[in-house]
Amino acid sequence: MTEDCSSSEETSTPTTSISQDTFTTETTTVTTSAFNIPPETPSSSSSFNTHLAIQSLSSILTTVSPSLLSQDQDPAFYLLHNPDISSQVSSLLRLPDSGAGDNNLCRWFYDTFQSSEPQLQLVVLRFLPIIAGLYLSRVALKKPLAGFEAVLLAIYAHETTSRAGQAMTVNVPDLSHPSIYHESKKPAKDIDAADLNLAVISPSLEPHVTVRSTKRARIVGVALELYYSKMSLMPVGSKIDFCEFCKVWSGQDGDEYKDGELQDDQENVEFRVDQGNLGKESVIKEGRIALPWELLQPVLRILGHCLLGPNKDKELICSASAACGSLYSRSLHDINTQAILATRSLLRLSKMALDPKNNVDHTEIPVTDVISL
Amino acid sequence: MVRSQSADSSEYEDQTPSREVWANGICMKTSEVEAKLDEGNIQEAESSLREGLSLNFEEARALLGRLEYQRGNVEAALHVFDGIDLQVAIQRLQPSFSEKQPSRKGRSRGDSQHAVSQHSASLVLEAIYLKAKSLQKLGRLNDAAHECKRVLDAVEKIFHQGIPDVQVDNRLQDTVRQAVELLPELLKQAGCYQEAMSAYRRALLSQWNLDDDNCSRIQKAFAVFLMHSGVEAGPPSLAAQVDGSYVPKHNLEEAILLLMILVRKFYLGKIVWDPSVLEHLTFALSLCGQTSVLAKELEEIMPGVFHRVDRWNTLALCYSAVGQNTAALNLLRKSLHKHEQPDDLIALLLAAKICCEDSHLAAEGVGYAQRAIANAQGRNEHLKGVAIRILGLCSGKQATISPSDFERSRLQSEALKLLDAAISLEKNNPDLLFELGMLYAEQRNLNTALRYAKQFVDATGGSLLKGWRLLALILSAQQRFSEAEVVIDAALDETAKWEQGPLLRLKAKLKTSQSLPMDAIETYRYLLALVQAQRKSFGPLRSVSQAGDDRVNEYEVWHGLADLYSRLSHWKDMEVCLGKAGELKQYSAEVLYTEGVMLQGRGKVEEAMSSYINALLLDPSFVRCKILIGALLSKRDTNALPVARSILSDALKIEPTNRMAWYYLGIIHRVDGRIADAADCFQAASMLEESDPIENFSSIL
Repeated sequence: MTEDCSSSEETSTPTTSISQDTFTTETTTVTTSAFNIPPETPSSSSSFNTHLAIQSLSSILTTVSPSLLSQDQDPAFYLLHNPDISSQVSSLLRLPDSGAGDNNLCRWFYDTFQSSEPQLQLVVLRFLPIIAGLYLSRVALKKPLAGFEAVLLAIYAHETTSRAGQAMTVNVPDLSHPSIYHESKKPAKDIDAADLNLAVISPSLEPHVTVRSTKRARIVGVALELYYSKMSLMPVGSKIDFCEFCKVWSGQDGDEYKDGELQDDQENVEFRVDQGNLGKESVIKEGRIALPWELLQPVLRILGHCLLGPNKDKELICSASAACGSLYSRSLHDINTQAILATRSLLRLSKMALDPKNNVDHTEIPVTDVISL
Repeated sequence: MVRSQSADSSEYEDQTPSREVWANGICMKTSEVEAKLDEGNIQEAESSLREGLSLNFEEARALLGRLEYQRGNVEAALHVFDGIDLQVAIQRLQPSFSEKQPSRKGRSRGDSQHAVSQHSASLVLEAIYLKAKSLQKLGRLNDAAHECKRVLDAVEKIFHQGIPDVQVDNRLQDTVRQAVELLPELLKQAGCYQEAMSAYRRALLSQWNLDDDNCSRIQKAFAVFLMHSGVEAGPPSLAAQVDGSYVPKHNLEEAILLLMILVRKFYLGKIVWDPSVLEHLTFALSLCGQTSVLAKELEEIMPGVFHRVDRWNTLALCYSAVGQNTAALNLLRKSLHKHEQPDDLIALLLAAKICCEDSHLAAEGVGYAQRAIANAQGRNEHLKGVAIRILGLCSGKQATISPSDFERSRLQSEALKLLDAAISLEKNNPDLLFELGMLYAEQRNLNTALRYAKQFVDATGGSLLKGWRLLALILSAQQRFSEAEVVIDAALDETAKWEQGPLLRLKAKLKTSQSLPMDAIETYRYLLALVQAQRKSFGPLRSVSQAGDDRVNEYEVWHGLADLYSRLSHWKDMEVCLGKAGELKQYSAEVLYTEGVMLQGRGKVEEAMSSYINALLLDPSFVRCKILIGALLSKRDTNALPVARSILSDALKIEPTNRMAWYYLGIIHRVDGRIADAADCFQAASMLEESDPIENFSSIL
């Protein structure tokens, strides 16, 4: 019987990995620092790996000049940020049968990620939005996807190992206890784990050898969690790709909520009535997918970074707020309350961030006509 | 930011003829100095200031720098500041203070000198600060951050024990506050995220004597940075960790802590209301699924901050997100009252959705959904399909408790019509396929139901367990057991071990239906092994915090086994299983019912009867129990027949598709001599038997 052999093979593996339990969410931070090897000092083996990766990539792409190898800057950095390479890889990825198991590019992604070279893994993650985006949207179309799955599984496995399978939890603080940032009358000593609200933001990870369809969202979600943790190193283009796919996934164009979700701007509403009905409903969106929380949560965290992160790029903020509007619209369609709360807050915040009233520079000195010593 | 010097100066010349500088009690117009500056003669400008106001070199330079900065000539300002050796000036300040600081007793004597030193300290620090600002405006962020850091380092050197509250010159304090706020901002803009993290912590954890506004701005900026920078901050330094106080472990915790502190500061009246703080907190808490904590925060906010309807609606969203639907619905009833905002579309949709899950609220939900359809206009028109869909679901649910057959079939066809209408508006929403499949299945229109179930599994790529289960149940209702088993096996392939519980249970039931008891027992045994493994690997604490419904449910396994043994009349084994099940779930109507079946099987009819009655007391709408009571009563004597008949009719009202109820009702009619009625009942029973699933369709939800 099929389920017997598959499960017996599995019964042993997850239990062993899970039994090494301790509260180690810190493991992620450890690997983060390991990831950020400064590009100036690549070890000899890493530069060898990088050159190998570039060579094999240039055999896939049509016009990668071998002169790349003689670049002054770190070649992996160049791979990550070069717009020509990105656009070529993107268009190859977007070909209709690109996700097949024998696809060269997928193979390159897989091998490159497996090289365990942090800088090269970043290059793979740079294209994760497109891979995940196409993958999830193509599932219902019954296209070959083994290549995409291999890449996603490799990322998932990497994350499983680096977290030691542990769940990521958050202790929601309780202000009646003192903290490093505030004082409280209550005696400090009776802080008890039981008093705090323990929230699981990412459940524990089990190893997966194949993508089981009910685990698909989780595997992609975990890959996106890794992407989120590296977002500050990602080029803007990658983030914009991600925002575009959020719109596709949501299946809603979300234009209704471009200027925030509030209904107070009545004149706007009327204006839209005239405009809005030009066959918007008639467009059937391809690529709409189910958005369970395990997928939506990392998506929203990434969008939060795009909208409110320290790097303010106009184009990025624009496409992120469009994505946010689409997801808000979608969560209304699903009447998914948790998602409504989160996306609505993001929408409101992105609107507030544009308001000049909220952008007063408090570090500026007062300008006076009388200057005194 | 960077302005060209010449264009600017000409513009400023005609605007500000009245600018003046004050020092040592003397006032001086700046026009002459400005003219010299515009010619590029810093030296001359400086000397005219020194002469005019009797200043020393540093003071004159600082004044000039500030003048240039205010005129917007940041490059020139930078040039002027470069002329001051700030490092020396700082070093000169240090000893005078560090000597003074500890000897507080002799303050009166040294006061005047103290004031002078503070004054020059303030001058120097302001000069460095303005240099940092100038550099920032020129886009030289790293240099700016470096200068700004020098201000703070100097302050820390000068004031060893933090800035004293009373004896500090206002201007110095202002400079310090601004520098504290500026440094993390600069580092952030320069892309030095780790340094920015520690600068924020330094700002908030050291003694800078910040005021409430200042501190809150930093706290908010830090919280936003923690949430959205994508850089892990790491734990705060050990020095900052006061014994026993709560130390956040990672970014999200720290951000939530800061935001909560900000909300509290607001309601203590220390700062003005900033709506973005609450939005940030909402985002953070809904990300971790802690909307009940958010609800508590919202409830604590003073009235008057936002409209009560907004508060009710947001609270309803929070409560509904953690499954407290009754609380949510009560709030929505308030906000949808005709004197409040009866047309709020989102509130209407949420209320209708909560109602459609409960048959006793479905009628109320119909009202909300109809209002939602009427209000789905303008830019919300895209939600019309959703409203229609929810109306359909409410009608379908309402049908399940409708008192008359006529009403029931009217509601059912209404529900189907609405869902069909909804699907034409929401072509790409697979949920509708599932709901249509369920509705048709419950009406035993199995072929159509099967079509929708298949479409649903295809559209979701088999990612949802409920799709597979519906498909298997429909096939089992069509008595296509082996195909149902194929579906279950396929589903098992697509599921990870811990989520296989419901599927395996179905599989065991399928085996039972196919009269393969040994296979069924084997499946149950595997399920029990799974329960064991699960307990070992997750531990008691884990299972609470990550409780999912898809976990293997040990109670259900034992109960299923008991059921299986009862079919085999293995009463001894059954008793063991039932005992286990009873331990896991006390006061369970189901356990009492199965116990009754066992007692009846062993011939203890009276005890069985009392078991059934007890079960019915626990759950008055327990259909299977009613049927067995009816059956027992019908065998007793003719006096009990009317009671039996009424109890069976009751059962049929709750579950009109229950074949056993029809069967026993037929028997009663036959005993009573109403042969035609009896024939009708038997016919219904036999028809239903051909379309009976191995488990109720509603068990999927």
